[in-house]
Amino acid sequence: MFFNVTRARRYLHQSHEVFPSLSGIVLSVGHLRTFKSMTDFQEDGSPGFSSLVSEGGLHIQKSISVCHDERCSFSSVQSTPDIEKKYVHHVYDAIAPHFSSTRFAKWPKVATFLNSLPLGSLILDAGCGNGKYLGLNPDCFFIGCDISAPLINICAGRGHEAMVADAVNLPYRTGFGDAAISIAVLHHLSTESRRKKAIEELVRVVKKGGLVLITVWAVEQEDKSLVTKWTPLTNKYTEEWIGPGSPRVRSPSSLTLESISETEENSFGDCQEKQMSNKHTHLQKLDGSVAYENWTNNKNQQEYFVPWHLPYHRAEVSGESARALANGLAKKDDKKGAVVYNRYYHVFIEGELER
Amino acid sequence: MRLLTHNMLSCNIKGVTNGFPLRLEVEKFVEKEVDFSAEFLRNIFPKIEWKALVDASRSMGYSQLPDEADSSMLDSDDFLKKFHHALLELHLEEGVLICPETGRRFPVNKGIPNMLLHEDEVFVFDGVNLVLNYHLNSTW
Repeated sequence: MFFNVTRARRYLHQSHEVFPSLSGIVLSVGHLRTFKSMTDFQEDGSPGFSSLVSEGGLHIQKSISVCHDERCSFSSVQSTPDIEKKYVHHVYDAIAPHFSSTRFAKWPKVATFLNSLPLGSLILDAGCGNGKYLGLNPDCFFIGCDISAPLINICAGRGHEAMVADAVNLPYRTGFGDAAISIAVLHHLSTESRRKKAIEELVRVVKKGGLVLITVWAVEQEDKSLVTKWTPLTNKYTEEWIGPGSPRVRSPSSLTLESISETEENSFGDCQEKQMSNKHTHLQKLDGSVAYENWTNNKNQQEYFVPWHLPYHRAEVSGESARALANGLAKKDDKKGAVVYNRYYHVFIEGELER
Repeated sequence: MRLLTHNMLSCNIKGVTNGFPLRLEVEKFVEKEVDFSAEFLRNIFPKIEWKALVDASRSMGYSQLPDEADSSMLDSDDFLKKFHHALLELHLEEGVLICPETGRRFPVNKGIPNMLLHEDEVFVFDGVNLVLNYHLNSTW
């Protein structure tokens, strides 16, 4: 089944043209998730899409020229889905300074990992945020990147090497780094294929025998009541899971995975008033033999919106927050005196990262 | 942006095979002192594409690096100092990095390169392949 994913309004005009024949016509393969998210996030709220989906036929763009001036999105792991743009990129851009001021605690396991690396190592931090870990080991050279320009400005202000780049498509030569880290980043990527690509990128940019450390938020929380503060995304947002029958992509270098589970206390401040304790599954990947865990496909709730309360006095003067309120992306919470942004998280279940 | 970072950067537009090294267009650069560590330089040296480093440093007005280098030169203090200076102390503050294959310009502002691609650079439109795949596999 394939869908033509284009800018929503334009598509609606063509919505009832169905071309049954395939020959010689330009096709575009849309990601089911992106298609649906466009339905849901359209600002003018046009309801036309669901009827299209249920028609279930082949929808084909008539000609190439139409496609080009329409900015077609083709199936791509690297094209940023709307849900990420709205609920990750824009949110972090708006909350950057406040977010940065709460990101000071250095998680012990990450610090240990970084300090264990040999002198002169070149360490790449994909999704470095405010640069918390850059320079943590003074004997190594760090290069950070993040998709959020405001956060990178903060990094650079501290004298680190940093750039604006996408973790799903790192602009680095293969095998240049000695080690790479991706701390609390992958859970912001909304589809499995993007998360997989991001992991492949981390492995690619590191030399043979190099180490990669990845941390993500886990579903298994010590304090279950905290999960109720998160808004679960309902089925209409749920991504397409790769079924057990589909071929699994094997990465070219073989990997051994070790699981280190850890409880962090007071390491992640989410709301103004409260600290959360998270159990993180840390994985170290080494070049070595292959070991994958068997994972049964149970559709537990894994997609969440996690709130971020940006206090009124911190909301940017530039009007970023005002725009967000106007777009409905944020709400005012007068009781707490803050603008509430929702951040998208795909929360990992145990063993998922190892797949 | 230091030249050590530049030595790693490569244009990641889909389909580009020769995206390294990026050419520098220098509008503003500064020199910042960095602590010297011979150990660090010796470790980093094997990763460095020497010609790219030489060309980049020349574009910032520093032409003291030898055209070619091999690891025996790492014993020379004089060489190490020049290597150190070019690699770590020259900072591009404002300018552009240019892909050698496509000419795509990546801006550098306040020392920060912006390597983000536009939507249409992220994948190759390949209608022929899609049709073929459909016929071969009967799936999308």
